[in-house]
Amino acid sequence: MAEIFIDNVRYEFEGKPLVLQFMLDNGLDHPFFCYHPSLSIPANCRQCYVEAGTPVFNRETNSYELDESGERVIRFFPKLMTACSLEASDGMVIKTHRTSELVKRAHKDTLEFILVNHPLDCPICDQAGECPLQIQTYKYGPEGSRFEHKKVHKPKRIKLGPRVILDAERCINCTRCVRFTDEISKSHQLTIISRGDKNYPATAPGMEFDDAYSLNTVDICPVGALTSADFRFKARVWEMNQTPGVDVTNGKGCNIDVWTRDNLVLRITPRYNAKVNDHWMPDFGREDYRRMNENRISRPEVNLDGDKIKSSWNNAELTFTEAIEDVNPSEILVIGSAFSSLEDNYAISAYFNRLGVNDVYFTPHIEAGSGDGFLISDDHYPNTNGCRALGFNEVSAAELKSKITDKSVKAIISLEDDLIGRGVINAGDLKGKFFAYFGSNNNETSKAADLVVPITCSVETISSYINVDGILQRTVPAKETIYTDRKLNLEMSLGRLDRYGTKFDNWVSDSNKVDCIPTWEFLERISRNQNSSLGFNESGDVFEAISSNIESLLGIDYNKIDELQGVQLEISSNKTEV
Amino acid sequence: MLQDWKNYQPLLIPNIPNLHRMDVYEKNGGYEQLKKVLTDSEYSPEKVTNIVKDANIRGRGGAGFSAGLKWSFMPKPDGGPRYIAANGDESEPGTFKDRQIFEYNPHLFIEGAIIAGYAMSITAVYVYIRGEYRDWINMMQKAVDDAYAKGYLGKNILGTDFSIDMYVHSGAGAYICGEESSLMESLEGKRGYPRVKPPFPAQKGLWGRPTTINNIETLANVPLVIKNGSAWYKAIGAETHPGPVLYGISGHINKPGIYEYPTGMLVSDLINEVCGGVRGGKKVKALIPGGSSTPPLRGDQLEGVRMDADSLRTAGSMMGTAGMLILDEDTDMVDFLWRVSLFYHHESCGQCTPCRDGTGFLEKTLIKIKNGEGEMRDLDLLLDLCTQMEGRTICALADAAAWPVRYTVTRFREDFEKRVKNTVYALA
Repeated sequence: MAEIFIDNVRYEFEGKPLVLQFMLDNGLDHPFFCYHPSLSIPANCRQCYVEAGTPVFNRETNSYELDESGERVIRFFPKLMTACSLEASDGMVIKTHRTSELVKRAHKDTLEFILVNHPLDCPICDQAGECPLQIQTYKYGPEGSRFEHKKVHKPKRIKLGPRVILDAERCINCTRCVRFTDEISKSHQLTIISRGDKNYPATAPGMEFDDAYSLNTVDICPVGALTSADFRFKARVWEMNQTPGVDVTNGKGCNIDVWTRDNLVLRITPRYNAKVNDHWMPDFGREDYRRMNENRISRPEVNLDGDKIKSSWNNAELTFTEAIEDVNPSEILVIGSAFSSLEDNYAISAYFNRLGVNDVYFTPHIEAGSGDGFLISDDHYPNTNGCRALGFNEVSAAELKSKITDKSVKAIISLEDDLIGRGVINAGDLKGKFFAYFGSNNNETSKAADLVVPITCSVETISSYINVDGILQRTVPAKETIYTDRKLNLEMSLGRLDRYGTKFDNWVSDSNKVDCIPTWEFLERISRNQNSSLGFNESGDVFEAISSNIESLLGIDYNKIDELQGVQLEISSNKTEV
Repeated sequence: MLQDWKNYQPLLIPNIPNLHRMDVYEKNGGYEQLKKVLTDSEYSPEKVTNIVKDANIRGRGGAGFSAGLKWSFMPKPDGGPRYIAANGDESEPGTFKDRQIFEYNPHLFIEGAIIAGYAMSITAVYVYIRGEYRDWINMMQKAVDDAYAKGYLGKNILGTDFSIDMYVHSGAGAYICGEESSLMESLEGKRGYPRVKPPFPAQKGLWGRPTTINNIETLANVPLVIKNGSAWYKAIGAETHPGPVLYGISGHINKPGIYEYPTGMLVSDLINEVCGGVRGGKKVKALIPGGSSTPPLRGDQLEGVRMDADSLRTAGSMMGTAGMLILDEDTDMVDFLWRVSLFYHHESCGQCTPCRDGTGFLEKTLIKIKNGEGEMRDLDLLLDLCTQMEGRTICALADAAAWPVRYTVTRFREDFEKRVKNTVYALA
């Protein structure tokens, strides 16, 4: 195995890793700005300097040359090398700032130059707290500034496009954003304009930066130059909780981080997953935070003579039980949803299977040609493959409509899926039938329902999804409902404010918590009222039931999903059916 | 032989009227060397490369790297396109020699480029000329058109199976595009950002194909070597840096201009005998031997210094492009250095941090000193900034910007000390 010595410590490597990535992979901190593992390497920030040398190999004796003390003779490169562009070779010796004064000085020098024209107004910069430049300046930067002249002034608050705003003065010209549009989104919308210390990224004159992936440039910007038009100046990073999740706006299921403060989701950023989305996600997935906060159904609602009125959970449970008991199992139509999680879908099918309703139907929301072959799929719902895995009957929109309007159907139970809003049925089709809707957001369908059961959305409970490529992933609760407590639920993250604050602090309110429960919990309550528990006490119980009953998910649990960062499943053959 | 420079007959730009015309050039033995190389079976591509390598033509663009050696780095032909990029960007302040070749002897360069193309199995030559040379671009285009018309360029040249194309390309006014890798970026239609090496141009150059970048004057030397042999060439001028050179002499001098002489000329001969001495009979304060980025030499450092790489290195400078700038004793080196610094600040491409922000830092500090607001510590700051820039960037522009500062401040420190504020006062 090839070996490399970094700061006198021996490491082994295979292939031809780049020294910087190798150091990062081995937990060695090293400053850098322009390097990004998923982009090309321009080596332009000149921050990741190391001293590098290779042993002198004597071809005649076929061995390394040794000095008097028996150590290998190392021939160092005459100049400092950028670790990001340096390929490791066998026997290479690397000295970083830990062992080399020269490298330490070089890191200071480059940071001094970067800061020469960079505004030093971190307290009012939106990037503060998650700014590589700020962090690395504290770690490796010079103590003070020797620059006593006027800084270069450049335009501020440039609206590059509908979602991205540029502060050109903060730009350190790492070209990550330009390389992103060239290499990843391939829209080529950004370039660097002007020269020297006057340069900054811009679009071509008269063009907008309206790339479907434009907000990724905000994530990879190592300073506060590119900010999200929507999120800028809304919150400080250290006030927010960062919780892993899965994007549900799309069949791809991009891995995301959900950023919450006081139980409001403030932004969504992509989370690295090599199998699914690498470091990226489409812009519209980030807009989804509104759905999590706004227009939520809180407390059950029942239809009383045409008026929707809020009801107690007891009343909702009674209404549901009576309506189901009123009809024969053969008169009940259960509609699953490719929008909802495996847990919700399984719970509803498990409950009705007991009553003797064996068939659960669902209609996918796939628009052929609406995807882009990258991270936007034709499938608009995150769990179509999940419904298939559970053995639901996949029917077309027309077929579902004819089932709903069938005279023999007296009660319809629908899991969150805006059937009316997306034109599968219209409100008139439901006339004269009992229609119960499990949903988290108000929509056309919930308006038409006789009973609305408010259920948790993807960021309020553990929800699992199988994406278009057959990868099983799950979310972690990020947002409290009025029945959950971040400090008691070990899965939920605690931010600074949660950890050090009290409930009397003025930044804590209950108004952002929604009165809702997971589908399985509602059905478990109903079952218990009928003296026959489904055995669901937590999401894990539901998933256990799924993995022991569904063959393709056998032996999988939440730990395994977390460990593998998503489990690749065999996708059933009916995938091609639309 | 160095003593008989007065009898030297120019080779690159001989005294022949209208030599830029095809008929005149052909009448004076033009394109004979090309014919010889292409038709004489004795001249294989390897042999041509070896002759040039043996002649030790050192690059005239500034770095002084052996041209033949550079050619030999090209990989074996694989059937795909291979390129020469002829560098006529010539934007180093004090340098104006390639212009003379474009104007007075373009066919010598074209012939040299084709021979180089033959030696390296090149498919196309790009002649990159600085954008401000509009007239010279037109002259060069005319010469290339003439060569096409005569069949020296294009398909199956002189009935052989060797084909080569030549394109004249105009720069757009960026100094950095004279750097070989950003010249390639510019030729490809991209922003003139130097490339990270490796890969070197011989492996991955223009459009990812093997490419050699040579200076215009370097290629113009090639037909002379082929005609007279490498031994003849090596006998011209300095031993380790042979050949004729176009000295572009400017500044406070009585007869500035381009002079063709062998390498290894005594600086004092060039100043006093060739150019008729310093203006107004004054003393030389400083000499910048090869374009503004080469370290300046003090007037009292010039004794016995010759214009070749070794002699200048010993003296503490570089040959560069042989664009000599002479400053007389009245020159204020602070003003001079600020102007040079302003140039590099303006021309930094902005890719690498040390150069992008370092050049501005240098220039702003020099303005401060120039305006009489500087302090003694600013001189040390300047030297410190140079250390922070030298060798820390992708291309050599940071070095080019730092060297004049470092060597002007150290070699002419008294000028700077006079301009800065006194920060230490005698108590009594």
